Amino acid sequence: MAGGAADCSFWERVLAKHCRVYELRNKERISVAAASKLLANMVYGYKGMGLSMGTMICGWDKRGPGLYYVDSDGQRLDGNMFAVGSGATYAYGVLDAGYSYDLPIERALALGQQAIYHATHRDAYSGGNVNLYHMKETGWEHIGWTDVLKLHYQYKNEKK
Amino acid sequence: MAMADIYQNNYMSMAPTERRFEPYAFNGGNILAVAGEDFAIVASDTRLSQGFMIHSRDHPKAVQLSSSTVLAQSGFEGDITTLKKHVKIRIDMYEHNHGKKASTSAIASMISKMLYYKRFFPYYVYNIVAGLDDVGKGCVFSYDPVGSYEREQYRAAGAANELLQPLLDNQIGHKNMEGDFLPLSKEKALQLCIDCFISAAERDITTGDCVFLHVIDKDGIATKEFPLRRD
Amino acid sequence: MEFLIGFEGKDFVFLASDTSAARSIVMFKQDQDKMTPLGKNTMMAMCGEAGDVAQFSEYIQKNLQLYKIRNGYELSTKGMMNFTRKQLAEALRKNPYHVHTLMAGCDSTDGCSLYYLDYLSSSVKVPFAAHGYGAYFVLSLLDRWHKPDLTKDEAMILLKKCMAELKKRFIVTLPAMMVRIVDKNGIHTMPPLLEKDYVTMDTVQDGEPDRSIVRPLIL
Repeated sequence: MAGGAADCSFWERVLAKHCRVYELRNKERISVAAASKLLANMVYGYKGMGLSMGTMICGWDKRGPGLYYVDSDGQRLDGNMFAVGSGATYAYGVLDAGYSYDLPIERALALGQQAIYHATHRDAYSGGNVNLYHMKETGWEHIGWTDVLKLHYQYKNEKK
Repeated sequence: MAMADIYQNNYMSMAPTERRFEPYAFNGGNILAVAGEDFAIVASDTRLSQGFMIHSRDHPKAVQLSSSTVLAQSGFEGDITTLKKHVKIRIDMYEHNHGKKASTSAIASMISKMLYYKRFFPYYVYNIVAGLDDVGKGCVFSYDPVGSYEREQYRAAGAANELLQPLLDNQIGHKNMEGDFLPLSKEKALQLCIDCFISAAERDITTGDCVFLHVIDKDGIATKEFPLRRD
Repeated sequence: MEFLIGFEGKDFVFLASDTSAARSIVMFKQDQDKMTPLGKNTMMAMCGEAGDVAQFSEYIQKNLQLYKIRNGYELSTKGMMNFTRKQLAEALRKNPYHVHTLMAGCDSTDGCSLYYLDYLSSSVKVPFAAHGYGAYFVLSLLDRWHKPDLTKDEAMILLKKCMAELKKRFIVTLPAMMVRIVDKNGIHTMPPLLEKDYVTMDTVQDGEPDRSIVRPLIL
């Protein structure tokens, strides 16, 4: 999630609550499409009041892997690849150069990490650490929490 | 036509004069909190000001919420008073409803929600909650005015946060430095808090008079005072 | 920079929409479908404010579906248009939906019809229409080339002509157009028109120059 820190953390929590309630009522996990639509409908109710959020919702359901983009305008898109936030344009540059749908997981993770690194490098509002998750059929796996400084010198050495 | 009208408006265009109610003020001062392994320290100055005027030299910005939690606030005094009242009431209600004392993390999460509840007309208040967590470790929670919060080791907020935070980043966070560092002792943390406020009082006109310290550990909450320059 | 275009033909209505989904300066998608079926022989294409389009088009579509379930028959194209228009008009005085719509349908009473709707709830029955900046370029072409007895092939060529002009003069590129035709048999999805298929202005088909583009001088 990117944008207003309080908006993102608050609405992420509310969405998590709705998803949990859905699971308890239906004895089945909510689909990615439905979860993303819940968020889109919630924030649409506050349209024009100054909420600022750009989010990606990804997961795995009966339809297989799913990825949605939802923002505080109420825009909701499905797709294979998104980048969101103030550094999104920089991330897209790297992502588009290296992406293909059948990318092996290792390469995909490395590409994602590299895209975020380059975004943190050029965008003043991005930085710190690169967090990586792998969303699998069985659930998510936290892959890494890497300081961008480490990546910076690693990539610098590779260039030589 | 009165002369005042001519001066206020553009005489030729006779544009209407806009009047606006300004619901916020800034009452200055600084707050700071540091967490150690088994303690937490909250420091705040006692000056209350508005613009160039000092309203009080003895107005504490931190308040004890429970036997192991302290809340420090800075920003607009009106909102601080309102929010503090509500927070205290909610903590009392929690204790009556659940028959147990509210933990620091529970209070921290509650304050986040109370701030977001006013998302479209926010409390102009910077909050820091400090105390001991469920396992007795020192903890600090810092907020923005609309309720985004994070657990940290140290945080400075208020008028001179740009002066204080980098000092803490260097002395406690050891940012951008290599090597091994000793864990933070209570004595060092205490002295650092006082030094921070001496520095802030030197350059920030809204900070001064006195720094008030709350030291939270397993034995309870102790308070200390240290004088600052009063000009 | 969205673009919708539509025109009536001999016994069909032709609708085409661009496929971009963007925000600020970032293009998120190149295969967005902006058309929604409203019934067996009616559909609409919608563009405008992000969020409003998704909410409003779904609201219209679901309510028309509900109408069919309750009554056992569909509303006519004109009825659907009037329903949509009224929703827009009522919203306009509360919190407006910033959406631009083209509605196309074929039914037994009115035959084939195309309606142009904007967010101010104007609605007009037209032989051809376009929404977006692209309209400034192609309306004159449609004035020149559109005829009521257009065949489906000619309709496709006309779209290509319009797209060629946009490619030449419009600062924004529209890499692909989604095309659907509605006639008495239903809604037919055509293969998308890609940028490479945008023929030049003076070509009709197979690279043959179209001599009729300039009319004889009238004195």
